[in-house]
Amino acid sequence: MPESLRIGRHLKPQDHWGWIIAIYLYLAGMGAGSFIIGIIIHWSTVSTKLIEIPLFSLHFDIAKATLLWGPVLVTMGAPFLILDLGIKRRFLYACLNPKTSWVARGFLILSSFIVLGWITLLLSSLPLLSSYIGASGLRGLESMALLLAVATAIYTGILLKSVKHVALWNTYLLPLLFLISALSTGSMSLLMGIFAMKKSLLQGVFSSSLIKMVMETEQILILIEGIVLVIYLYRRNLTNSQGEQGGLSVRLLLKGKLKFLFWGGIVLSGFLFPFVLESLFSQFPEYPILFWFAGILLLLGGLFLRYGILSAGVKNRIPMERWIEAQHLLKSLRIKER
Amino acid sequence: MNGKVLFVNPERCTGCRNCEMVCSVFHSGVSNPSRSRIRILKWEEVGLYLPMTCQHCETPVCTEVCPTRACHKDLENQRVIIDPKKCIGCKTCIMACPFGHPFFDPVDRLTAKCDYCDGNPQCVLFCNPKAVSYIEADQINLEKKREAANRLTNFLRQGR
Repeated sequence: MPESLRIGRHLKPQDHWGWIIAIYLYLAGMGAGSFIIGIIIHWSTVSTKLIEIPLFSLHFDIAKATLLWGPVLVTMGAPFLILDLGIKRRFLYACLNPKTSWVARGFLILSSFIVLGWITLLLSSLPLLSSYIGASGLRGLESMALLLAVATAIYTGILLKSVKHVALWNTYLLPLLFLISALSTGSMSLLMGIFAMKKSLLQGVFSSSLIKMVMETEQILILIEGIVLVIYLYRRNLTNSQGEQGGLSVRLLLKGKLKFLFWGGIVLSGFLFPFVLESLFSQFPEYPILFWFAGILLLLGGLFLRYGILSAGVKNRIPMERWIEAQHLLKSLRIKER
Repeated sequence: MNGKVLFVNPERCTGCRNCEMVCSVFHSGVSNPSRSRIRILKWEEVGLYLPMTCQHCETPVCTEVCPTRACHKDLENQRVIIDPKKCIGCKTCIMACPFGHPFFDPVDRLTAKCDYCDGNPQCVLFCNPKAVSYIEADQINLEKKREAANRLTNFLRQGR
């Protein structure tokens, strides 16, 4: 009987943080992941394609801009945090308590990454500007932006991990899962950008061996992400003692109200289909539609992953609730005895 | 802990939700339970009710996670309060509180929590079965012991 009480009380998704926060975490993670992969490619290969901006007679390196466009995605995601606030005009107050609040720390990390990322993007893409600070200065800026990108990708998981009374979130596996998902969705968004401009502006810039290597890395990331997700859910499922609701959260995700989102949106759309379609595309590169489907499904899967984990974050039961349920159990046992 | 606190006895609660009504009227001027700072957790199918309100914890989690320091501890009165002028309505405190206490006011778009109605809690005044009482913090254990003794006495009487 107490079991049914517990299920009736708790097996519904949490609704304080919903789609808006999921989109914010997703775009922040994807943008940071895209920047990390992009800068690694940028450092390891010499890819340049200058085009002239007509009005200002400036040269613009479209190849580097494609690789380092991550901050644009993070900038697109930041307004979603503001959109979720009750009083939106007070959003600048959100950085007043970085000493103990992860929301405030995240605000500072993301803002710093957006500012430094845009500076890096502009300096790397505009040879006229980069000549002022020199190659070593630019490398230093890129390194700092890379560090902030890693911090941004990990932060999206740390924010949830800091909520100690939600067993599903309170694990270091969550920042790891979100970091790998950020790299996976980020590399896919990067590949989609390259493919979109491959036949026009970026013709012959990125070698097919490089693209193949990024695609293989992408597939490995999907596999690692899948393994981490399984370990994460398995470990959380074990936390079901002393009022911890990890098991119930996992059940909510796998069998409860979120099952369609989990199996359809996360497992099929986020892992299985993209992996199979990408493998098929590597065998049949003459069908680019396979790649585009894989890309869109993977990006959607990344969003569903964040929304699913957010929604399934059920709070642990407090001692008072457990006490009430224990009392009810005693009463029902007494009635049975009579 | 010093001063008076709200003491909840769930065994006496009948789930009438009078406390929610008077709380919302006192704080927002309208009878709207969704704007109340006390909520009744209900197990309707078995008739169990648990009034939930702020515990004013000694080391509150909500003050730690608040990004604006709007949610803070008033050291003088040992109470956790939210400054409505600083609150941005991010709901982080709601997520962090293990008791699920601070509530999001859908009209003001801010997080609101129990402030003991400036020392005269309306829920206590209007609770007919006396499920909520406002007593000195150091008397809580005494109250619990008294309840346990009453239960034991009743049990022994039934045994005869």
